[in-house]
Amino acid sequence: MTDKIVIDVKNIYKTFGSFRAVNDFSFSVNEASCFGFLGPNGAGKTTLMKMLYGKAICDKNKNTSINVFGYNPLENELPIKYLSGIVPQQNNLDEELNVLQNLFIFSKFYGIKKTEAQKRIESLIDFMELTPKKDSKIKHLSGGMQRRLVIARSLLNNPKLLILDEPTTGLDPQVRHLIWNKLRQLKKQGVTILLTTHYMEEAFQLCDQIIIMHNGEKVISGSPQALLKKDIESYVLEIFYNNQLQDEKTIDTSKVRLEKIEEKRLLYSNDINALQEISEKLQVGDYYLRQSNLEDLFLKTTGRGLNEK
Amino acid sequence: MKNNQENYPSFIKRVASVWYRHFRVYVRDFISNAMPPFVEPMIFLGGIGLGLGTYILDMNGQSYSQFLAKGLLVTSAMFTASFECTYGTYIRMEYDNIYDGMLAAPIRVFDLLFGEILWAGTKGMFFSTAVLSVFVSFGVISLESCLIAPIIGFFTGIMFSVLSLLFTSFVNNINYFNFYFTGIVSPMFFFSGIVFPTTNLPSFLQPIIEFLPLTHSIRLIRRVSSGEINNLLLLDVLYILAFCIIVGYLAIKRLNKRLID
Repeated sequence: MTDKIVIDVKNIYKTFGSFRAVNDFSFSVNEASCFGFLGPNGAGKTTLMKMLYGKAICDKNKNTSINVFGYNPLENELPIKYLSGIVPQQNNLDEELNVLQNLFIFSKFYGIKKTEAQKRIESLIDFMELTPKKDSKIKHLSGGMQRRLVIARSLLNNPKLLILDEPTTGLDPQVRHLIWNKLRQLKKQGVTILLTTHYMEEAFQLCDQIIIMHNGEKVISGSPQALLKKDIESYVLEIFYNNQLQDEKTIDTSKVRLEKIEEKRLLYSNDINALQEISEKLQVGDYYLRQSNLEDLFLKTTGRGLNEK
Repeated sequence: MKNNQENYPSFIKRVASVWYRHFRVYVRDFISNAMPPFVEPMIFLGGIGLGLGTYILDMNGQSYSQFLAKGLLVTSAMFTASFECTYGTYIRMEYDNIYDGMLAAPIRVFDLLFGEILWAGTKGMFFSTAVLSVFVSFGVISLESCLIAPIIGFFTGIMFSVLSLLFTSFVNNINYFNFYFTGIVSPMFFFSGIVFPTTNLPSFLQPIIEFLPLTHSIRLIRRVSSGEINNLLLLDVLYILAFCIIVGYLAIKRLNKRLID
């Protein structure tokens, strides 16, 4: 993998009325890597993505600079859109056209010649396993198929950059794994991928680097593995009801961190033996001892409250 | 595969591809979409020729069928462009998210709306031509006198598409288009010289009538078809061009704000 930086964003701001959606945000992405944005709803992930290809315009600020493959979306978004494939959060297929026509019309938007377009469309619907549905109306596709078609559409112009806003939200595990495999193949071919997701599993599977953001700001960033190692204990003991944990005060807080969420107790530790000792006094089924994951880290850094008011 | 990012399509190709999208969708249901401009003038011929026309024998030296037929050449363009760029645009923008999809491709809001306006102009031209062909084949008007109709239809389509887009830029509830059709389109149908000559209206209304876009389309058709061509018609042409540019500019500017966060 090269270390060539292809996206470089510095001190970007975005305000909607009095609401600051993105606040002094900076990041850079290496070529052919997968970069993930995690954060609760309303954290500013989508807005951030949109600002990269001119769908949203960032606030005027003298410290702001955006560079996407050598182009500034504020000056000319067209080359950026030409080299990018964009998968928005909401499917926006043309319901007045069928599967093939959707792709064909889009190939015209990119100025792809007809014979070349036919070749690419055929290989893309095959790649996304949509060939049996090629003459179907959009309405007759399942959510997973529509998503695959939107991804196929984003690949029409052999993009160097893929911008995926929650590509697998609401899809079944089979489709998710299929999409993950396809994305890994594309990364191998040298495509740079930007991704937002709520699935910690997805970030862990695909991303080389992640940023957890909250209220438009960066909370932590790094590779998923490094973050797990550095920012959260290795193991968690979940105890579902506090009355099962009678000796709360006897817990050795030098080894175990206790978190209380209403009736639930969460005990974090790098020492699995310490947690095991506690769990032995509990009934099977009242607790869950496991390795910590990105979701724990996510909740630790962004808090447990609901973020949409 | 080599992929040079400077190779994004030119402005003309971008606009043409947007136009083509609308064309493709339109011809998909061509029979049902193309029926109204052919059938409606026939219904009109029945209603006027057999009914109302027998009461009004002379209208500025022509039969009432003839008088009204010339009006319908432009109102058909007005209606089709108005529907296209009110309900059509609103549904594409707010319900189907078609524009969001298109804006992910190398297309700017300006390209998108320019293509949309051209498409509405094309539909206006098609509707005027269809209506003309019916009236000519039934012998109501002569082809030579109204050869200008497709061009007027095109510009009438453009005028009503930019006006509709401007109205749409203010709308955030699809039912508000009732205000547009009842408050703007219907009065124009009756007070722009389509169903009766506007010279019959009180003089204080005349400036208002001159302000309406349809007045100028219909005047051009009537004067050119009756051979009364003079320099004053240049004012109508100028009005139409100015209207397209000014209202078009405002509509695109306002919709740009709506489509870009």
